[in-house]
Amino acid sequence: MTTFVSSLRQRYKSRQAQETRLAWMLISPTALIVFGIVIFPAFFSVWVSFHNVGLHNLNDVFHAPFVGWENYQKVFNDFAFKFQGMQSWGAAVTSIVYSFAATILTLVVGLVAALLLNRPFRGRGLTRAIFLFPYVAPVVSVVFVWRWLLDPRPSGVLNDILMRLNIIDLPMAFLSERGLALLIVILFESWRYFPFAMLMILARLQAIDNTLYEAAEVDGANTIEKFWYITIPELRYILGAIFLLRLMWTFNKFDDIFLLTGGGFGTKVLPVLTYEFSFRLFDFGRGAATAMILLTILVVFITIYISLVMRNVEE
Amino acid sequence: MNQEKKTFIGYLAAWLNWPRFIFSLTLIFFLTGILFPFYWMVSSSFKSRAEIGRRQPVYIPETLRLDAYKELFSPTHESYQDFGQNILNTFKVAIPTTFIAVVLSILGAYAIARLRFKGKEALLNSILMIYLFPGVLLIIPLFAMLAQAGDKLGFNVQDNLGVLIFTYLAQTLPVALYMLTNYFRTIPDEIEQAGLIDGCSRFEIIWRITLPLAIPALVSVSIYTFMIAWNEFLYALVFLNDHAMFTMPIKINAIFNDPTPRPHVVMAASTIMTIPIIMLFLAMERFLTEGLTAGGVKG
Repeated sequence: MTTFVSSLRQRYKSRQAQETRLAWMLISPTALIVFGIVIFPAFFSVWVSFHNVGLHNLNDVFHAPFVGWENYQKVFNDFAFKFQGMQSWGAAVTSIVYSFAATILTLVVGLVAALLLNRPFRGRGLTRAIFLFPYVAPVVSVVFVWRWLLDPRPSGVLNDILMRLNIIDLPMAFLSERGLALLIVILFESWRYFPFAMLMILARLQAIDNTLYEAAEVDGANTIEKFWYITIPELRYILGAIFLLRLMWTFNKFDDIFLLTGGGFGTKVLPVLTYEFSFRLFDFGRGAATAMILLTILVVFITIYISLVMRNVEE
Repeated sequence: MNQEKKTFIGYLAAWLNWPRFIFSLTLIFFLTGILFPFYWMVSSSFKSRAEIGRRQPVYIPETLRLDAYKELFSPTHESYQDFGQNILNTFKVAIPTTFIAVVLSILGAYAIARLRFKGKEALLNSILMIYLFPGVLLIIPLFAMLAQAGDKLGFNVQDNLGVLIFTYLAQTLPVALYMLTNYFRTIPDEIEQAGLIDGCSRFEIIWRITLPLAIPALVSVSIYTFMIAWNEFLYALVFLNDHAMFTMPIKINAIFNDPTPRPHVVMAASTIMTIPIIMLFLAMERFLTEGLTAGGVKG
C-alpha cells in the first residue's frame, strides 16, 4: 500500500517537474525578449542617465564616463524644464497640468458618451462603433486633419465657421499661441481618448442593478437625484481605475503633442523634451535623466493615488 | 404633400420632450465632432490644388479629382512620392511583428494560464510593468544597445526594418501576452484534462483544444498587434532616415513638413492609411470592443 502511494507521489512529482520544465520552455522565448528589450533597457537607462553618452561614444557605450548627477543638474537648470513664472511653465509643470486636465476632461466626455449610449435607440450599435473611430484611427492622420481644421489662416475650417458666426473678427492661431495651444492639445486628447473611458463606463453602467433605480423611483427620486445618488457611486471604482490608467498613458504620451505643436508655444511636455535632448542634441545622458525624472513623478503620483484609494476602500 | 409634412411635424412635436431634445442634440454634437474630421480627410484628398489654395475652405469638392493620389502613386508626376513603397514597408514591418508576437504570446500565455511554476506571478507582473514605461524612456537604451550590437555583429541600426520589428515586439508582446493569458484563463480546465487523460501531449492539447477555443481572442490580439505596428510613429521616426525605407506614418509626417505645403496629398495618404484600419475595425467589431478595454491599444 505504502509503495503504491509513494509511487503515485513519485509520479505526481515527476509530472510536476515535467510541467515546470514545459512551462519554462514555453515562456522562455517571450521572457527572454521582454527581458532583453524592456526590462534590461529600463535599468540600462538609469545607468545612461548617470553617464555622458552622446553620438561620439555610442558604439562604445559601456565605457562612457561616469558624471554623477551632472545630467540631472543640467536638466533641472534647463530653461525648457524649470518653472519660471506664469509666462513660461517649463516642461515639468506643463506635463502635470496637461495630463491632469486632459485626463479629467477625457473622463467627463467619456461619461457623457456612455450615458448617451446607455439609452436604447435605433442604430445604437452603429453609433457606438462610430464613437470608437477617434481611438482606433492612426494618430498621424487624425492629427494632420485637426491641424488643417485649426489652420491659422482664414481658410482654416474652425476660423471660417467662427468668423461666419461672428464670434471672432480675425482668424486665430489656435496652435501657435501660448495658453490657447495647450488648451487645444488638451481638447484634442479628450476627443481622441474619450472612447476608452466610454467603453469601460458603459460596461459598468450596464451591470448596475435596475432594481436600485426602481426603488428610487418609488421613493420619488428625479433623474438628477438618481444619477447623483445611484449612478455616480456605482461608477466610482471604475472611474478611479480609468483615471489612473489614462493619467499614466497621457503623462507618457509623445506622439500627439509632438505632431500637433512640435512641443512649441507652451506645450513642451517631458516626453517631448526627452526626445529633443536625445535625438536633436544627441545628448543621451541628459535625455535619459529627463525620462527618469518623468518616471519618478509618475511613480510618486501612483503611490499616493493608490494609497488614497486603498484607504477609501477600507472605510 | 403639405398634409404629409404637417403630420410629420405633428408626429415630431408629440415625440419631442425636453430629455429627448437634449439627448438628440448631444448625440448630434458627438456624431458631428467625430465624423466631420474623417469626412474632411476623405473629401480633401479629392480636392485640387486650386481648391486648397482658396481664401475660404471648400467643404464639398467640385469634382473628385485624383491629383493627390497621382502624386502619391504615379511615377510620371513631378513630385512623385512613391507611396506604394511606404505601404509595402508598413506591411513588411506589421505582418512579421504580428506573427512573432502572436506565436510567442500563445506559448507564453498558455504557460502562465495553465501550468504551475514558481515565479509565475512575478513574471506576469514584471511584463505588465511596460504599461508604466514611457516609449521615450525605452528608446534611448534600445538605440544605444542596438547601435553597439550592430557594430559588433555588422548590421545597420538605421534604416533596417528587421531592427524596427525587433523593437516593436517590446510594445506588442506584453499586451498580447496579457490579453491571451486572460482569455486562456476563461477556458475551463476540464476540457484539457480530458485531453490529457486521452493521452494527448501538451502541444497537441494547445493545437487541438485550446487554440480552436481561443479563436476570438486570437483574432482580436492579432488585429491589435497589427494596428500597433501599423500606427507606430516614434520608433520609426528614430530608426528610419531613408525615404525609401519609411513606413506610412513617418512618410505622411515628411510630406506634411515639406516646404511647399500640399495638404490634399497629406489627406490622401492619411485616407489610405486610415480607411483599411477603420474597415477592419468595423468588420471585426464584435471581437475587438472587449479587447479595447483590456488594454489592447496602449495609448
